[in-house]
Amino acid sequence: MKPASAGRPVRPDLRRSRLRDLRHLLLYAAARLLALLATVVVGVYLTILVANMGGQVDELRLVQIRSEAVEAVRADPAFFDMPGEERSALVERQVALEVERLRLDQPFIVRSLDYLRRALSLDLGRAEQMHSDRGSREVRDIIVERLPATLLLFGSANLLVFFTAVFAALHLSRRYGSALDRTVIALAPSSAAPGWFYGIFLILFFAFLFPLLPAGGMVTAPPPESRLEYAASLARHMLLPVAAMFLSSIFVSIYSWRTFFLIHSSEDHVEMARAKGLSARRIERRYILRPTLAPIITSFLLMLIGLWSGAIILEQVFNWPGLGSLLFQAIGHRDTPVIIGGVVIFAYLLAATVFLLDFLYALLDPRVRVRGGRS
Amino acid sequence: MATTTTGVAAGEALLRVEALALHYRTRQGAVRAVDGLTFDVKRGEALVVLGESGCGKSSLARALMRLHPRNLAHHGGRVWLGETLISELSDERFRREVQWSRLALVMQASMNALNPVVKVGEQVAEPLRELKRWPRRRALERAAEVFQRVGLPLDFMARYPFELSGGMRQRAVLAMALVAEPELVILDEPTSALDVLTQAAIMNVLKEIKRDQGTSFILITHDVATSSELADRVALMYAGELVETCSAERFFTAPAHPYSRMLMESVPRLHERRRPRAIAGQPPSLLDPPGGCRFAARCPARFARCAESPPAFVPETADGAGAGVEPGGEPGVGGEVSSEVRESRHRVRCWLHATGREETP
Repeated sequence: MKPASAGRPVRPDLRRSRLRDLRHLLLYAAARLLALLATVVVGVYLTILVANMGGQVDELRLVQIRSEAVEAVRADPAFFDMPGEERSALVERQVALEVERLRLDQPFIVRSLDYLRRALSLDLGRAEQMHSDRGSREVRDIIVERLPATLLLFGSANLLVFFTAVFAALHLSRRYGSALDRTVIALAPSSAAPGWFYGIFLILFFAFLFPLLPAGGMVTAPPPESRLEYAASLARHMLLPVAAMFLSSIFVSIYSWRTFFLIHSSEDHVEMARAKGLSARRIERRYILRPTLAPIITSFLLMLIGLWSGAIILEQVFNWPGLGSLLFQAIGHRDTPVIIGGVVIFAYLLAATVFLLDFLYALLDPRVRVRGGRS
Repeated sequence: MATTTTGVAAGEALLRVEALALHYRTRQGAVRAVDGLTFDVKRGEALVVLGESGCGKSSLARALMRLHPRNLAHHGGRVWLGETLISELSDERFRREVQWSRLALVMQASMNALNPVVKVGEQVAEPLRELKRWPRRRALERAAEVFQRVGLPLDFMARYPFELSGGMRQRAVLAMALVAEPELVILDEPTSALDVLTQAAIMNVLKEIKRDQGTSFILITHDVATSSELADRVALMYAGELVETCSAERFFTAPAHPYSRMLMESVPRLHERRRPRAIAGQPPSLLDPPGGCRFAARCPARFARCAESPPAFVPETADGAGAGVEPGGEPGVGGEVSSEVRESRHRVRCWLHATGREETP
């Protein structure tokens, strides 16, 4: 009998079972979407509450508006000979106007819901204090201006760390207990220090003691004209921060991936594959990497969206114009629309990634795919 | 180490093992899990390796298959498979020429021995594609043959391991072991995790395969009752050593070594009023095994000489009485048994049999 005939008795049901699978899939997707949406709403609303200190910021703002109005009226020569009562009436009118413009006369709870609605529809609004380098006060413009710098720096550093760590770890898990393995484990605590800590020393050594590389910034000022020179200058500026991030996370990443692969390479099916006489390469690909692909991809995607937040101190140390320092400035200025804008986009990215992962899992692991489907 | 004196048997022996050793490294020192085993398996023969848990049975399978753990301390001894001295082959040649194509293994934890994300049929066909470079179609056709051979429905080939029951998975692993038509299959506790009915079904499949294809088996188990189904010969292990090797008939009726006798007395039987008796005490630690006979501490028949390590003896008489031991009191020690026993393949590692011919290991 040929194996081809094996599938035949199942054929008639195949169409119906496909349809049923599809219905399951849609129901599942809808449920997941609802759950994720609820998560995003809760997360963003909490951010709104926190960024406004539960309405406390309004009072600070009122004080600020009043003092600004008083100052403006007092400094204006047109009102010099105005009687005091009229002047204070004028101040009151201006304060009332400003309060109405910012809608501070409505209760905070009402406005917080309005913020939420606008945030969720990605209508990020205008910044209160900050503006982009081109002068735009649109939160969208401010964020978009900083995004490429962050993506470039953190993207290259994290991708480098991720792939180096995974492949080095695979290599080490095969040479468990070797001198190299023990060295890496011994070095893992070096990751207790954050990237900026290494950054300070790197700047000290390579920018001041041996002035080989620039101490900070993204490109030389003024920026080079030709595209090639611009790229070269960018690369030279990136070298130190990337090295700092690499140093601070590479050893612990290798260590944790190595342990992960060690655990999974002592699974019975890997042992069986070794007994079967399969080549080391095939065992690695098909028996270790393939069944563990789901967690690897999860950590990869979470790493990718983690890029969004940048790193506040590292960007400050290297004077890198990224999202981390933007967020830092926004908090300093109590510029809530910018803070909320950053968080909303991150929340959406996270939710989309988690949704994507659900489906990737089903593609990668038949145990997830078939559950509840065919019986 | 001396060679075996079983010159006659060696001609037809499929597997010959001499002074096989496998030691593990631990914090407390080397664990001598397999410590100088010498035995052989003929073509078409089923050797049952019995022993209590922790006596080194599974390590024996690992040593033969070269499945070394990370904490391997020492691996020694010589192994012939047919005419090939396989213990001298390089790892790569062993993998290409011996592993799975001539020597296959059904692992102890075979419930989890299948890759969870690859279809069962693919996994069964994989050794053919990888080691023999067969095209996919041909390999799958051969896999379908062994599926039928072990009693698996063919549509299971397209299923994933988690969609199979425990017994079916065990059969799939067995199919995988048989797919490349190996000369010898090592079965490490193949039925221990299964219910009795499934156990019986799988033992029947094994018997059929042995009868029809002349495959040799090494069945490693602690289960005396199940093993008797398949056994032609029995090798009893204790604390990393072989204490007795003899024909199954002899072993199950009138074993020679005191441990073998006590083991057989501990097995409950049908139609017998005698209560099974337990063996008092614990096996010694393999970290620093005692000098002399390793069973001495639990042995009711020990005497002064047991402090020296006994070599393997070939007992002279059927019931061991000539060697100064009381008869085992088991029924069925007939004349046909004694002729079997005089055959040189019965070995006992006990001073009580010191009047017999000594085999210097």
